[in-house]
Amino acid sequence: MYSCGALRRGWGHCAPSPILFFSLLLSAAPFGLLGEETRQVSLEVPTWPDVPQNLLHIRAVGTNSTLHYVWSTLGPPTVVLVATNTPHSVLSINWTRLLSPEPDGGLMILPKDSIQFSSALIFTRLLEFDSATSDAAAKPPGKPYPPYSLAEFSWNNITDSLYPATLSATFQGHPKGDPTGAFANGSLAFRVQAFARSGRPDQPPRLLHTADTCQLEVALVGASPRGNHSLFGIEVATVGQSPDCPMIQEQHSIDDEYAPTVFQLYQLLWGSLPSGFAQWRPVAFSQEKAGRESALSCQAFPLHPTVAHSLPQSPVVQAFFGLQEKYCTFNLTFGASTGPGYWDQHYLSWSMLLGVGLPPVDALSPLILGIMTVALGIPGLMLLGAGLTLILRCKHASEYQSIN
Amino acid sequence: MTCPASSPGGQRLSPGDTGSYFCYDNPAALQTQIQRDMQVNTTKFMLLYAWYSWPNVVLCFLGGFLIDRVFGIRWGTIIFTCFVCIGQVVFALGGIFNAFWLMEVGRFVFGIGGESLAVAQNTYAVSWFKGKELNLVFGLQLSMARIGSTVNMNLMGWLYSKFEASLGSAGPTTLGVTLLIGGVTCILSLISALALAYLDQRAERILHKEQGKTGEVIKLTDIKDFSLPLWLIFIICVCYYVVVFPFIGLGKVFFIQKFGFSSQEASAINSVVYVISAPMSPLFGFMVDKTGKNIIWVLCAVATTLVSHMMLAFTMWNPWIAMCLLGLSYSLLACALWPMVAYLVPEHQLGTAYGFMQSIQNLGLAIISIIAGIILDTRGYLVLEVFFIGCVSLALLSVVLLYLVNHARGGNLNYSTRQREEMKFSHTE
Repeated sequence: MYSCGALRRGWGHCAPSPILFFSLLLSAAPFGLLGEETRQVSLEVPTWPDVPQNLLHIRAVGTNSTLHYVWSTLGPPTVVLVATNTPHSVLSINWTRLLSPEPDGGLMILPKDSIQFSSALIFTRLLEFDSATSDAAAKPPGKPYPPYSLAEFSWNNITDSLYPATLSATFQGHPKGDPTGAFANGSLAFRVQAFARSGRPDQPPRLLHTADTCQLEVALVGASPRGNHSLFGIEVATVGQSPDCPMIQEQHSIDDEYAPTVFQLYQLLWGSLPSGFAQWRPVAFSQEKAGRESALSCQAFPLHPTVAHSLPQSPVVQAFFGLQEKYCTFNLTFGASTGPGYWDQHYLSWSMLLGVGLPPVDALSPLILGIMTVALGIPGLMLLGAGLTLILRCKHASEYQSIN
Repeated sequence: MTCPASSPGGQRLSPGDTGSYFCYDNPAALQTQIQRDMQVNTTKFMLLYAWYSWPNVVLCFLGGFLIDRVFGIRWGTIIFTCFVCIGQVVFALGGIFNAFWLMEVGRFVFGIGGESLAVAQNTYAVSWFKGKELNLVFGLQLSMARIGSTVNMNLMGWLYSKFEASLGSAGPTTLGVTLLIGGVTCILSLISALALAYLDQRAERILHKEQGKTGEVIKLTDIKDFSLPLWLIFIICVCYYVVVFPFIGLGKVFFIQKFGFSSQEASAINSVVYVISAPMSPLFGFMVDKTGKNIIWVLCAVATTLVSHMMLAFTMWNPWIAMCLLGLSYSLLACALWPMVAYLVPEHQLGTAYGFMQSIQNLGLAIISIIAGIILDTRGYLVLEVFFIGCVSLALLSVVLLYLVNHARGGNLNYSTRQREEMKFSHTE
């Protein structure tokens, strides 16, 4: 369990008033840390007086590396993802700078030269389309309504929805100004969950996670749509690391065991491996009890360069990366004009994984391997046995010589 | 005995049967639309197939009796065709009134008519063509029925989209109207049945031809006399057909999701099994007639089906290859498997044996249809395909056992045609 004192040396400024500090050191596997198969994960909420608690720092320490996920709703919901090659790297926040109009340098991971990879995802806008005016293959999927800028949302105090036992936290927000009352009974939630080891959740789409990943679930609940058949979407921006924007790869697989009838996996790789990645299945769900009946298709549009001033600004990104002129943005839209949709229960949820290194790869489950072994093995052996028996019999018969 | 066209839904006759065959696979052709408009999961969707099969667990025994003793061939055909029409209309009304339970009732009524109609049509064929071109007629029978299935697969989706465009929206009403239009083919069947009845009655008057009878004698007590090879054939029959029909029922969405086909393409590939079966059944029948060696052909057919399902499950190879293989093996199996029953069972028990075989086949289809739906909803297509591979593997095991048992007992199931001829001569001498 870290104490504030031990952390002080890694922090530029420890708050003069008590830092609200929740962390849970999850014990490593019983036989010690197995490289990066497990990590020690801690969640902490750095605070500053008179500032709402809207910063969450997830620190996942392995034997040779540390992953830092800095989630924030200062401005639009953002995650800064940093990987270092030392287990001793720490987050340093200069609050005065961070809260100023020019937050450059307000957020740092120290030591700086240990940083192997860094990038950010910013969820800039909530999109809404009127699907009644579209056909299924239209891009975009219908006439767009004015989008909701997520920088104009007000968010909860993260400490109120922090669950150390499951290493998760939820950012929940609604528009600050809501003249139509669309979000009177609704909210947009970003549920973040970190992992200390590999596993697979029970809730669809059951994305396989490792200790090098964390999961984000975006859920729109209860908001009133502006049309009878509204389709929602989300605009995501990322910091452009190279001149060209990264590509979203679509991977096809034969295995849909964990997400029935979904054979694709989408990946956003920021660079050549190992680098950061985002991974998701092109499916969203229109019911809390997610299942095949409530599955919606999810369409991803390719990344394109966007100038910074056309997007809601994220102070956290500027604090870490400096002023950026160009971002790469892409849209994700959920559902189609017919079939299950947000209109069923005013619920929509979509999950993705964020991590560094090699993206997790699904493998065939023991059930399938077992059935195939038995199904092919037994008849195969019988055929072999029958064939051998017949050959031996024929040979024996031909060896018989008649008396005459 | 050539390919007897005795496969589930196999004993069907043109043109009266084309209608019932056309409508049998309406659910498969409109799976996405039904699941979406009626808001049902795959398990409930597959009940549309299960309810078709349930009445036939019993009717396979009763069909012949009803035709021979109760209705007569003419009235029997007309009554069963009426059941088919009414069933399809009720099925469509279930869509229009947005009542899934009504759709299930419709499929149940449709099922009562469908399989028994097959028995009736076969009886007509024997009555008119025995001793002449009976095998050709059976082959053509099957071909016409398959044409009906193919047209259904490719037409219904297109028809739905046309109605959607003209009515302005998708929904249960659009679905119901589409199904009603599909039901027009059943009206054509009814007209054919009436025409046949008239012609048969005229033939009786002019040619002094007797009304056809099925000649089936069903005695349930005969079941205890069935030999081990016969039970193995039953197992092969059940295990084989449950990997063809429920798969086709669920196949369209599989081809759309896994291989990225469009709706039209997926319908087309789903119908390939029937398209191939239409010309190949008579051809394979001819081939099996000439060569004999039924068990070897059954082994080839089952093994090819296993390969086909493995290709669909574990590779991304073009599914046209796998589906063509499935179509070929399905045709071959029908021609090689069903005649073997006649070699194992004395003639007076043949009706019971075939009735029992169709009965448990329908039972298997009813149960496995529901199980397939459950597996798909909870575990997806890969696990479903692996389940089917397990069933085919069981069939393969049974074929191998059948070969060994037959060989050990000196049975005649795997005789070549020449050996059978020699046996016939030696018996008459």
